[in-house]
Amino acid sequence: MEPDRKLAEEFLYAALNIGERMLQCGAEVNRVEDSLRRILKAHGAQRADVFTITSSIVVTIYAPSFGVVTQTRRVLGNRFDLTRLHMLNQLSRDLCAHPQSIARIDARLEEIDRAPAYPFWAQMCIYALISGSFSIFFGGTWRDGLAAAAIGVLLKLVDALQTRARLNPFFASFSSSLIGGLLAVIAVRLTLADHADLISIGSVMLLIPGIALTNAIRDMFSGDLISGLLRFADAMLIALTVAFGFVLAGRLL
Amino acid sequence: MREIIVELTTAFLGSLGFALLFNTRGKHLWPASLGGLLSWGVYLLMGLVTQSDPLRYLVAAAALTVYAELLARRLRTPATVFLVAGTIPLIPGGSLYRTMECALRGDHAGFSELGINTLLLAGAIAGGILLMMPLFHVNRNNMREP
Repeated sequence: MEPDRKLAEEFLYAALNIGERMLQCGAEVNRVEDSLRRILKAHGAQRADVFTITSSIVVTIYAPSFGVVTQTRRVLGNRFDLTRLHMLNQLSRDLCAHPQSIARIDARLEEIDRAPAYPFWAQMCIYALISGSFSIFFGGTWRDGLAAAAIGVLLKLVDALQTRARLNPFFASFSSSLIGGLLAVIAVRLTLADHADLISIGSVMLLIPGIALTNAIRDMFSGDLISGLLRFADAMLIALTVAFGFVLAGRLL
Repeated sequence: MREIIVELTTAFLGSLGFALLFNTRGKHLWPASLGGLLSWGVYLLMGLVTQSDPLRYLVAAAALTVYAELLARRLRTPATVFLVAGTIPLIPGGSLYRTMECALRGDHAGFSELGINTLLLAGAIAGGILLMMPLFHVNRNNMREP
């Protein structure tokens, strides 16, 4: 079937819905570009130029039946969600194998949006697990680990409040680390734990963008220089604010 | 010996934590967390051969990438699902933090030394991943033409 212009526009919009979600769930830039290109070509585009950076997607498709169609999408916010990423990947594979209608794609996307997430109490335990594990991993005693785990739970609460208040991300990471640092020092002063710095390192792992830094370098070496540089700058600024919070906490007490 | 067991256990638990944080579920969860144990295990083993940290990181990341890509093939999911959690013990978060701490204390010598070290480690992880990926995506770049 030869798509007309209206259909092409609507289909491109639906495809961008997929790309946007993939990017938000933590897909690499070149995976998003690759998936969109394949999907669009499988559905009748003769040529598909996809350009993606971490915060935007631009696509131009061409075929004689509908001419040139371009759309852009501003992509806001990202949080790794590997379950949804898996489902989106499945969807894009299916689409390449068997072209589907827009209504069907929308239905699948709705299903993906409803994918389960861990409940709040479980997320508090997850924060505790990460913080406690890394405190011990870096050489803390088991008492340090317990203190770090308790601080992790509190940091999840702080995170929830910050998300609700829509705080500036830099201020959010600064205030989280300030609170984390203060609590670590207090725990040691009350002789509940042994090393403030080793407790802090647990909370640092929760807050510091180490994954973003590694991915930034990976992006750059894969040829996605702009995305890599953007991620790199973002990671550096966040890391600086995190360190500022902890250093300030040490000075205050 | 005790140290090694503690490190491996906490590396596993930390990876499990991040896998859960990133909403990994069902049949992906355990393989993803075991990736952390694998990468740290390879890092420790490489200690027998060399004392160069970046090299050990590179080999560990490369081994993890092979593991992640093979699993991705088997379970039909993006390799990222296993890579992200598995690299967690290697991620130079602590080192990045100490770098910035030096910057704020005005310790410029420490800042440049730790900073270069952090970049080397992050570069080594990225390099290890990128060394192995092309083996599994031979025709990826051909698809890059519009």
